[in-house]
Amino acid sequence: MVAALLTVVAQTGLGDIVVRDFAGRDVRLAAPAQRIVALAPHITENVFSAGAGDRLVGAVAYSDYPEQAKAVPRVGNFQSWSLESLVALQPDLVLLWSSGNGIDTLPVFDRLGIPVFVSEPRKLSDVADTIRKIGKLAGTRAVAEAEARRIEHTLATLGDEYRREQPVSVFYQIWNEPLQTVNGEHLISQLMALCGGYNVFADAPSLAPKINIESVLARDPDAIVASGMDTARPEWLDDWRGYPSLIAVRSGALFFIPPDHVQRPTARVLLGARELCRQLATVK
Amino acid sequence: MRASGRAGVSTISAAVLPAPRTLRARRVILALAALLPLCLLLSLGSGAVNLGVAESLSALYQAIAGEKSSQAAVIIGQIRLPRALLAALVGGVLAVTGAATQGLFRNPLADPSLIGVTAGASLGASLAIVSAGTFTAGLLGFSVVSLGAFVGGLLTVALVYRLAQSGSGTSVATMLLAGIAVTALAGSVGSLLEYQASNEMLRRISLWRMGGLDGANYQRLLVAALVCTPVLAALPRFAIPLNAMLLGESEARHLGIDVDRVKWSLIVWVAVGVGTCVALAGTIAFVGLVVPHIVRLMIGPDHRPLLPACVLAGACLLLLADTLARTLMAPAELPVGVVTALVGVPFFVSLLRRRHQYGMQ
Repeated sequence: MVAALLTVVAQTGLGDIVVRDFAGRDVRLAAPAQRIVALAPHITENVFSAGAGDRLVGAVAYSDYPEQAKAVPRVGNFQSWSLESLVALQPDLVLLWSSGNGIDTLPVFDRLGIPVFVSEPRKLSDVADTIRKIGKLAGTRAVAEAEARRIEHTLATLGDEYRREQPVSVFYQIWNEPLQTVNGEHLISQLMALCGGYNVFADAPSLAPKINIESVLARDPDAIVASGMDTARPEWLDDWRGYPSLIAVRSGALFFIPPDHVQRPTARVLLGARELCRQLATVK
Repeated sequence: MRASGRAGVSTISAAVLPAPRTLRARRVILALAALLPLCLLLSLGSGAVNLGVAESLSALYQAIAGEKSSQAAVIIGQIRLPRALLAALVGGVLAVTGAATQGLFRNPLADPSLIGVTAGASLGASLAIVSAGTFTAGLLGFSVVSLGAFVGGLLTVALVYRLAQSGSGTSVATMLLAGIAVTALAGSVGSLLEYQASNEMLRRISLWRMGGLDGANYQRLLVAALVCTPVLAALPRFAIPLNAMLLGESEARHLGIDVDRVKWSLIVWVAVGVGTCVALAGTIAFVGLVVPHIVRLMIGPDHRPLLPACVLAGACLLLLADTLARTLMAPAELPVGVVTALVGVPFFVSLLRRRHQYGMQ
């Protein structure tokens, strides 16, 4: 028993940090990361939430939140970044977004000896989890833990407050032309569940399917929630008034939430959750 | 005895050969003309909301009478009818412009996108998506993206045509190569543009490229009809010059055809027709390339029956494909371009297998 423990300690080294990432890999660091590169806007945001924003030496385009993130040097965008500029930053930790950056780049980093943490937040609980893990890797555990607890607490409180006997049906509209929504896999569907609602298109076959007006009429949601391109309520949300038979139109349940508050798996989902809960609470 | 008999048969069949061909062409056109209303009814009767045949028909009657009281009348009248009519119109225009382009270039691989209109429209749409941002207003029911596509398509064709012009007229071969070059250029610029696009814009660009008729309404249908009806009426009138040009350009010239004028008019009609279709429905592959071949396999290469038959066949195919695109994965929609190939290719291949000697001439 003792011998087994000793060999484990000998293999990992005493001061080692070991964190399991979202791809199920164990990420090992000898010391807290000092030079971090984040390859997606939501990861950058989570690094700041974990209190490790000052360790960030590289980010990608559209890493625009918080304000300080805009000053972080860029290595490209989330789909194509320059490996050279990334290496030139001499990172001791790279945070990769597997569905956006592609998991196939992992061997390249392995060859270069740069540790990679793969992030793929899909569930609401993954937000706090990611922040906690980044805090552990960057040695900013106290800040990260406090932020993670705040997120979990707020979500739990909202869930208790807005739980309903009869959940309201919600249609989330990403865009009008083409008419696009999300299915049950998306974070937004979990926000709906938290706020006492459910996604009418939860059963759709892809994450962000293209649908048509007729299927919205067929499912007749209690509320329509739309995100536009930025922080302004899209004008096309009022196009639904052309279909007065819709329950959501009759009761005026046409709502807007800024896309960054519901589409990014970061601490800002709390903003989206609060807005959505308040909006759905006015239905019926 | 036997040998002379065979020779006699072949002489006779050579003399009478055109007759069964025209008869067959007439039959095929009649069959397609009968099929089109059936496809239209099928399209009106199917969708995410399940309406029975009786309810669909009564709703159609209500919709035509201008009633908007019942949900069924709204679905049939405001959603399915404009979409079905637009699908038929776009399918017809794509197929007939495809046939005309193949005839003009004397190339079985030609399709309307060859003169750059599709690539230019794609680039125009991407530019509009990236630069317009939240500005979603438009003109005459066209969104900024559609307008960008239309203008982009026409400008690209104008460029291709200019490149192919020289002192001795317009060279079809040069136009073909210029079309390929400009298409490649527009594609590259479009890819470059994607580096400037946010995640949101990228998603819209890729969805736009896949095509779709979901934006159909009466306003757009009206504009499409105003532009496409003249195209549909004009192209069949080029049947005889196109037949002559199948022999070769100088032969056509000797037959008294003003070849350069024909080329210019055809390019303009094709560009306007396809530009409008792409602006309204995105890029829909396959229809312009393969429908003319399907029809040629059935009735032969004579453009006189070929062009009207292509209008009908293209309309039927796109109607069917759009109906499937709406219903196969309901509530989600498939890109219609995916379905056109799924429906059309097996049919095309089976025809091709039966006629190994098929060629353009």
